[in-house]
Amino acid sequence: MRTNYLFPFNSRYVGIGLILLHIPIKFLWDALYPGDHHQPQPPSAGGSFLVSPPHLFFIGTTLMVLIGLFLIAFSRERIEDEQIIQLRLDSLRWAIYLNYAILLFSLLFTDGGESDHILLLNIWLPLLFFILRFQWVLYRLNRSAASNDADTRL
Amino acid sequence: MKNNIRVERAIKEITQAELAAQVGVSRQTINSIESNKYIPSALLALKIARVFGKAVEEIFHLENSDL
Repeated sequence: MRTNYLFPFNSRYVGIGLILLHIPIKFLWDALYPGDHHQPQPPSAGGSFLVSPPHLFFIGTTLMVLIGLFLIAFSRERIEDEQIIQLRLDSLRWAIYLNYAILLFSLLFTDGGESDHILLLNIWLPLLFFILRFQWVLYRLNRSAASNDADTRL
Repeated sequence: MKNNIRVERAIKEITQAELAAQVGVSRQTINSIESNKYIPSALLALKIARVFGKAVEEIFHLENSDL
C-alpha cells in the first residue's frame, strides 16, 4: 500500500478560493485601518500585542494564504502515478535549494533589522516556487505527450 | 534503458491510454516510457510485461551506458 499523504484532488480549488478570498479582505482592512500593519503595534493599555486587531488580522490572512498554498501544492493529481511522484519530489528539492540559497544570501548581506522580511519571504517562497516549478514540468510533460502523438500520426 | 513497448502495443493493438489504464498510470507516463524519457520502477516494468504476456527482459533492454 502506498501512502503519500496528499490532499484530495478537489482541495486545490479550496486553496485557490482561500487565496482569492484574502485579497478583498486585505483591501477592506487597509481601507478601514490605513498604515503599516507589518510593524509591531504598541500594546494598548492593559492589552497584549498578541490579541491586538492588527496582529490577529495578520495571523488570519497569513493562515488563509498559507493553508491555500498548502492545499494547492499538496493536492493529488487526477492520476498520481510514480512519474508524477518523481516530478513532485524534484520540484520540492529545487524549492528547498532556492529557499536556502536566498536564506543564506539574506543572512550574509543584510543586517538583523531585515529579519522580519526574511521570515516572511521564507513563509511563502518554498511553497510558491514548488507550485510554479511543478505546474511547469506537468505542462511540459503534457505538451511532450501531445507532440509525440502528432509525430506518430504523421 | 530502452524498450519496445510501442511495437508490443502495435502487435496487441492497444493504445497508450488502454495500456495506462491496465497498469494504473497516466497516458503521459506510458508516453514518456516509450520515448525513453522516463525509466519505470521494477513494479511498473513487471506490470507492463504482464500485460503483453512476456518476460521483462523481452520488453526492456539495458544499454551500454547503463552498464
